[in-house]
Amino acid sequence: MVTEIPFDVANIPGPETGEVVAPEVIGNFISRAKRPLLIVGSEILRDDFFLEIAIALGKKGIPIAATGHSIRGFVENGYTENVQYCNLHELTNCLRDPTWQGLDGKGQYDFVIFFGILYYYASQMLSCIKNFATDPLVRAVSIDRYYHPNARMSFTTLTPRQDEQYKEMLTSVVASIKR
Amino acid sequence: MDAINRGELFKIGGLENVRISIGEIVEERAEQDWEPMGPHPMPGIATLRDWDFKLLNRYKPFYAPLCDMCCLCTYGKCDLTGNKKGACGIRMDAQHGRIVLLACLVGCSAHCGHGRHLLHDLIKKFGRDVPIDFGPEVDIEAPLTRLICGIKPRTIGDFEQVFDYAEEQIVQLADALATGQEGSYLDYESKALHMGMLDSLSKEAADIIQIACYRMPTSHPGGGPDVPLVEVGMGTIDPNKPVILVIGHNVPPAADIGDYLTEHKLEDKVELAGICCTSIDTTRVYKKAKIAAALGRQLRVIRTGIADVVVVDEQCIRADILELCQRVHSPLIVTNDKAMHGLVNRTDDEPDAIVADLVNERVPGVIILDPEQVGEVAVRTAVQIEEKRKNLALILTDEEFTRYVHACINCGNCTLACPAKLTIGEANRLAAAGDLKPLAELFDLCVGCGRCEQVCKKQIPIIDVITKAAYPQLMEERGKMRIGRGPIWDSEIREVGAPIVLGTIPGVIAPIGCGNYPAGTKDAWLIVKEFAERNYIVTLTGCMAIDAALWKDEEGKTIYETHHGRFDGGGVINIGSCVSNAHIHDAAIKIASIFAGRKLRGNYEEIADYILSRVGACGVAWGAMSQKAASIATGFNRLGIPAVVGPHSVKYRRAFIGRADLKEDWKLIDASNGSEVYVEPGPQHLLVACETVEEALPMIAKLCFRPSDTDRGRSVKLTHYIDLNLKYLHTYPPDWHLFVRTASDLPVAKRPELLKKLEEERGWKIDWKLKRILEGPIRGYDPSFNPTNLKRLIREKK
Repeated sequence: MVTEIPFDVANIPGPETGEVVAPEVIGNFISRAKRPLLIVGSEILRDDFFLEIAIALGKKGIPIAATGHSIRGFVENGYTENVQYCNLHELTNCLRDPTWQGLDGKGQYDFVIFFGILYYYASQMLSCIKNFATDPLVRAVSIDRYYHPNARMSFTTLTPRQDEQYKEMLTSVVASIKR
Repeated sequence: MDAINRGELFKIGGLENVRISIGEIVEERAEQDWEPMGPHPMPGIATLRDWDFKLLNRYKPFYAPLCDMCCLCTYGKCDLTGNKKGACGIRMDAQHGRIVLLACLVGCSAHCGHGRHLLHDLIKKFGRDVPIDFGPEVDIEAPLTRLICGIKPRTIGDFEQVFDYAEEQIVQLADALATGQEGSYLDYESKALHMGMLDSLSKEAADIIQIACYRMPTSHPGGGPDVPLVEVGMGTIDPNKPVILVIGHNVPPAADIGDYLTEHKLEDKVELAGICCTSIDTTRVYKKAKIAAALGRQLRVIRTGIADVVVVDEQCIRADILELCQRVHSPLIVTNDKAMHGLVNRTDDEPDAIVADLVNERVPGVIILDPEQVGEVAVRTAVQIEEKRKNLALILTDEEFTRYVHACINCGNCTLACPAKLTIGEANRLAAAGDLKPLAELFDLCVGCGRCEQVCKKQIPIIDVITKAAYPQLMEERGKMRIGRGPIWDSEIREVGAPIVLGTIPGVIAPIGCGNYPAGTKDAWLIVKEFAERNYIVTLTGCMAIDAALWKDEEGKTIYETHHGRFDGGGVINIGSCVSNAHIHDAAIKIASIFAGRKLRGNYEEIADYILSRVGACGVAWGAMSQKAASIATGFNRLGIPAVVGPHSVKYRRAFIGRADLKEDWKLIDASNGSEVYVEPGPQHLLVACETVEEALPMIAKLCFRPSDTDRGRSVKLTHYIDLNLKYLHTYPPDWHLFVRTASDLPVAKRPELLKKLEEERGWKIDWKLKRILEGPIRGYDPSFNPTNLKRLIREKK
């Protein structure tokens, strides 16, 4: 049952919609994931802080798929060691294939984190993963400032006045990861 | 009697008690032997299914559900989440194939219905025998009609059989949407591809009919690359004259307005401007017509009240058009039975009575279904009502604007409702503090839907507020666009066929379609500019053609003014309206025919195979919004032409994405000897979305690689692919090595550096003495490689 307001207000896909969770919950899931993957989009370039968070997550050992033109931010900041450009449509197509061997050739991912992708684009890709990447299960979550009904877990939709609160939530995600 | 029975000639005189009835008359046509009939004339649903499955096995359908449920029958709603089955047994993947077919059905029906409507009206006006004569440079007048139907049309009346065929197929395909029909998502996609093909056929028929009847530009003098420029933008419309605004896609009513203005010498006294494809086609008929805007500005243009009369026909008209016109006291004339808006039908009424009712606002609008009655009513109404409307103040005053921006409480409701997720509240706050720029900048990013106003807690007329902030810039919008030139000339194809197939013209880029862009209209201009400057051929249609015309370089020139209009490297060509998209298919088909000597008649599969393997073309529907765009793209795909779409287009649900890592998906046949060859992924996708224009530009270049590229052509294409990645993504593409077959594929200027990268990063073996690649590529370069997907085209068995 949807009680949260999606960022696209009419984006109510059906009976199975994602849970709103605290940042630490997502951090704990990342800690326990066998093969996590951070998927970032061009929106992370709107604020240096978002890029810093992505790099911080990368330094925790989480590989980064840089979609859109977000790779620019990593190149300009000199952090490319476990970052690769991918087209999100192509990447999602691979995530729904149980036999795909991942960006590093070591196997499919079990936990993917969406961050900084245009809302409606991310929602559709999350929908594909939710509906078709189920055996084995690929859990897809969002750490954007919007409620994503197609993600297994996400934050609530934050108002324009809650910028600082959102940044604290992102910091909490990073801090709660133990890998 | 014996003579009658033997079928011989007989005398009627002397016959008694005989009744003679005459059935269908079948004419002997000398041209029936213009080419031998190919294997698949007028294909049915299953005829080209093998071809479809070849495409679908390589570009497996990808689904991103917009809704997890099916609500189409009374067993429902059914929850299909996780690819479950509904009550009828359909799984989510097949259900999505079904929705794709439904979208393509709507789009194809729009083009086919429009075409049939045109044919009906124009036969009535001009007769059936209007010849199809596109001048000395166009012999292959109707490539799609020849290819699909096996017909060479001589007159517009010949298209009746084309529409008969298309309409029958459409109904059969629509039948497959019913409950308890198809269960396979692959077969739904095959049907969608069939629908896309019918869409392309219908578009060609529609455009050819209107070109022939209205003598739109072709290869007669004044056509082709020499078509004139036309004015684009609100700033080009003189508000001191009566203004008639036409909106839609069906040109006969607007053409009648143009005729009336010409006959009564009112061309310089009354403005005829338009929105969307009707405006593009009107400028091909009436030289004084202007283009107010593309679709994204429709709501805003009407709300400014600039139009003294609004005339609509069909497709892409706002469903609340009557309400919008009433708000600004613009009488509405509706001219098409597909969109009648609850008005009274006044067709055949006395023009004096209709004009009087509209001018005196006794009625907000009327229906006139005969296009030849529209001109007089529209012009006389506009002239008479202009004086009355002169003093209407429809743009917000400064005082109203200030009050509204201060009233905003930044609740965010508007942003939640906005398809473009515009931060309107923040822009209001800054405007209240004296900085209007952020609010004015929203004007171009806004797609003009009006959803924001319905949810504003303070009932702020947000559209009007943004328009007020942007009004000075809006009135300065004065662009220029080349008039739609219709068919590409055979002589042009002769010149560029080889460079395109061999790769030295790196590709044909087709920015087409609607304006639901992720970041405003400038993206349209950037896509055109970037590729034209790199010597690609750029062919535009529809809203993208209009939006690209709004932007200027530092010298104040639009992209149409800085680039020529020839179908040649560096050309920026406006093909025309949505139905004119067919000429882009036609150009690719003509390459197969003129350059490669392939037969066209009833030979769709072979030509699609040729185009997929050799013609480096890529569509760009950056702002695709409508069902028509879905069927247009699907029609391109069946013919072997890929498309890049903007991020909103993931809401079409289905994509065709290739997997470069699956070797078995990229096996072709060398038709010279029958051997199987594993090739690089070109084109890697048939339909893929990008998030931003920066990401799209290199992707578009990537989708121009073809197996038939010569090494010189490949090096040109690789140059642009790598360069666009470095320019916009600041990094090398991770897959550039896949497109290297031999050292001479590498751009000359960077060859040593790239050989080093291949050795160090990919472990390839390089002979540094001879500068040759010894080991690493998927395949070597073979200039005699004759790529095909069809075993039946093998010339000699291995």
